[in-house]
Amino acid sequence: MPATLEKPAAINGSKPPTHLTVKIDGVDFAYGARQVLFDVTMDIAAREITAFIGPSGCGKSTLLRCINRINDLIENAAITKGRITLGGVDINHRDLDVIALRRKVGMVFQKYNPFPRSIFENVAYGLEVAGEKDKKRITEVVEESLRAATLWDEVKDRLHESALGLSGGQQQRLCIARTLSVKPEVVLMDEPCAALDPIATARIEELIVQLKKQYTIVIVTHNMEQAVRVSDRTAFFYLGKLMEFNDTMKLFTAPEKPETERYLSGRMG
Amino acid sequence: MPNEPKASSDPGASDLIKPPRFMGLRIDRQQVIRAFFSVSAAVTIVTLFLIMWTLVTEGPFRLQKKLGFLPVPTLKGGFLDTYRWELGVYRKAGLEFCDHVKKPLTEHETIFSRLKRAVGAELNTVSKVSRDRRDAAILAKTHVEERAALQREALQEALDKTGPATPPEKIEELRKAVREATARKVAAEVLPPLFTDAEKQKLQEDLRGLQPDQEDFPPFIQELMAESAKQDGLAREKFAAFVTAVDEFEVAADPIIEVHDAMKELALATKELAVQQHMSEDAVAQLLAAAAIAKTPEEKAAFEKDAAQTDTTAIDFKGRIEPLLAKRADYEKLIPAYLATVKKVMADMPSKPLTGEARTLLAKARKDLPEHIKTVEASLHHMSGWKWDKPIPLMQSLSAFLFGGDWITNSSWQDFYGMVPLLTGSLVISLTALLIALPFSIAAAIYVNQFATLREQEIIKPLIEFIQAIPSVVLGFIGISVVGDLIKSTSDVAWLQWIPGFPVAERLNMFNAGCLLALMAIPTMFSLAEDAINNVPRAFSEASEALGATKIQTVFKVIVPAATSGILAAMLLGLGRIIGETMVVLLVAGNRIAIPDFSDGIGTVFQPAHTLTGIIAQELGEVSRGSPHWQALFMVGIVLFAISLFINWASRLVVRKFQLPKI
Repeated sequence: MPATLEKPAAINGSKPPTHLTVKIDGVDFAYGARQVLFDVTMDIAAREITAFIGPSGCGKSTLLRCINRINDLIENAAITKGRITLGGVDINHRDLDVIALRRKVGMVFQKYNPFPRSIFENVAYGLEVAGEKDKKRITEVVEESLRAATLWDEVKDRLHESALGLSGGQQQRLCIARTLSVKPEVVLMDEPCAALDPIATARIEELIVQLKKQYTIVIVTHNMEQAVRVSDRTAFFYLGKLMEFNDTMKLFTAPEKPETERYLSGRMG
Repeated sequence: MPNEPKASSDPGASDLIKPPRFMGLRIDRQQVIRAFFSVSAAVTIVTLFLIMWTLVTEGPFRLQKKLGFLPVPTLKGGFLDTYRWELGVYRKAGLEFCDHVKKPLTEHETIFSRLKRAVGAELNTVSKVSRDRRDAAILAKTHVEERAALQREALQEALDKTGPATPPEKIEELRKAVREATARKVAAEVLPPLFTDAEKQKLQEDLRGLQPDQEDFPPFIQELMAESAKQDGLAREKFAAFVTAVDEFEVAADPIIEVHDAMKELALATKELAVQQHMSEDAVAQLLAAAAIAKTPEEKAAFEKDAAQTDTTAIDFKGRIEPLLAKRADYEKLIPAYLATVKKVMADMPSKPLTGEARTLLAKARKDLPEHIKTVEASLHHMSGWKWDKPIPLMQSLSAFLFGGDWITNSSWQDFYGMVPLLTGSLVISLTALLIALPFSIAAAIYVNQFATLREQEIIKPLIEFIQAIPSVVLGFIGISVVGDLIKSTSDVAWLQWIPGFPVAERLNMFNAGCLLALMAIPTMFSLAEDAINNVPRAFSEASEALGATKIQTVFKVIVPAATSGILAAMLLGLGRIIGETMVVLLVAGNRIAIPDFSDGIGTVFQPAHTLTGIIAQELGEVSRGSPHWQALFMVGIVLFAISLFINWASRLVVRKFQLPKI
């Protein structure tokens, strides 16, 4: 697909290459009295795809949601120990601008959730809330973002129709376009294909691999084949602990911990 | 047949066949429970239809037995029919004809009272000071006399005694007592600052000398009275043209009033006859019905005889209307003189009134007088075009109800059942209440759902919902005792006079009722709006915040738009609650049956009004069952029912139209 390959390059010019790394350093996390993460330490490299895998309830989504502090929306949920830094800045610092952090660290959710507005307005929303008034600039960014999410050709004739009229896969790519519109450094994806059929999943995976060129991507997935297909490195979580973090190939072919092997072979989950 | 399966089946499967059994009957238990629930649902629906049936058969229709037992609603005897009959008498007896004359007379009365107030205001500029001085002095005199009444009465009694006249030394003693008492009271009396100190002393001197047998006013008071009369004369002289013109204007209507009274008498006599004839017809019908089911031939004969003796001769409307119509000529003769006076008033009104009060009053009069002339001229026109025997179609009694501007009952002249004043009252009150309740309830819902901590939610929600538990009659008390006074005192504050409608004349008005109804609607609207906001998927707010929107942006750009349908439905159901509320409006709205004067703009809400619900509650207990008035109240009930039905339907439509995707 040469056409889709050159499209992401189009936004390359407007965005300097990413080099902010996310460092997670000894993080404990609790929902009230219930602790769900225990002393997690890992570095997420820039412009790579890092996959989080592990059985349900192991804390992988929680860790992901800590990176842009979307967990703040949940009452009583907080990091109790350790810290997460983005490019060396503690993201839980007292004076941190959460809004700015979320612009640098975008997020795509498990269930596609476009706003009940038009396709155009969905992608323009991030600019709108940032106070961008220039109509021309907004139109440009919307097109760029939709192209980057390989959705442009499918929706360019109906930008002003409701986003809810799109198919599931299209809606999820629209959500990705919406995330890209604010030009983040890091894109967090929380099981982005969980609600999609295999064909739509394949398209999203293809898109994720392309996005790697400009973005640092962290993806939570239950689908081990998906982790193998898209990620460079994989982290395996079990009962709130990071069991193993390695190159994807190594982790899948020669796991070091017995829990990892048991999980990969399907005897635990 | 029960034996059949046994014969061919395996003994191990024999328990598969089991006839249903319930309380010894061959009925399925599940079926019975299901029937119970379906009957419960059916009963509520049947009740709804029975209510509708009652409204319809007591209002526009009346039940009639067909085939001896089948109740069939017919228009005959229903509201439209009886009201048409009443309107028919109103026309045939000539009451309608008289009202053409009455209309200019009513206008004359209003305009005259305004002009009189204007004259008073103008005269005051000259005569007020002297009159106030005179009044203050007379007031002081009365006070002193009242306070020394004990001694004065004793003296009076002694003076009046004639048998043996009271000895002079005794009288002298009493006089001394009066003098002393009066002097004490005079010292205690505080005189207003209208007088100079010298004058005050003079007045006190006068007052001290008061004795019960003194006929004339004391000299200083007489002086003041003379001064006042003089100033009054001067004032009248100064505004002579205006004063005379207004006086003439007042008198000018007198001959017309005379003609109108004569016409009224004729018309009312005819109407009285018509009503009696109608009643006799009813009596005959009842007697004949009784005769039809009489047990013995004698009874039957007696009933029939009574029926035959009742006088039901038709009234000669034509003959009776002639003298009334003849009065038109009298009326016409009076018009030119009257119109001349009206024009004279217009010319003689001072172009630059001295007081603000007179200025506004005269401005109004200047606008009204040309209209008045038109009304007078039109009345002649109407009277010549008027036909006593023009029939009234059934639709006209319906439109007279739906669009009639007068709700007049128990009148000595003519009853009218026009619901427009009630409907406008209800609507204005409801809209006021809605406008007040909407921002409060929605803002509270947004706060509680989006910004409040869990602890705050636990406190605020039950408290707001508790408002619903306040009985509406208790809220009525509060409206009368607290809100009414609050509105009144606020409206008298000098720097708030820019608000339209201030200062308000009535403590009980539509705004007052609107405030309390808003309070009643807030819990409903708050709960429903809060539900609607709560139903917005969390995914929307997460997506919005993940894109770097602030909480406020998320609330107003994503959550509230997504909750629009629920919020609209909350608003509509709140409106339904408001429009059906009775007790509060009955107590607080002021109960004046008139279409509000919308020329006040927003200030209209400070006028009293009556409502659809209030009129039913107030009047239904006092009217005789089945009378046109009774039926008219049921018609009002149907209108209310229709409004509520419409609101419910609209809210369902809104909810369906703006449904959200499930996430």
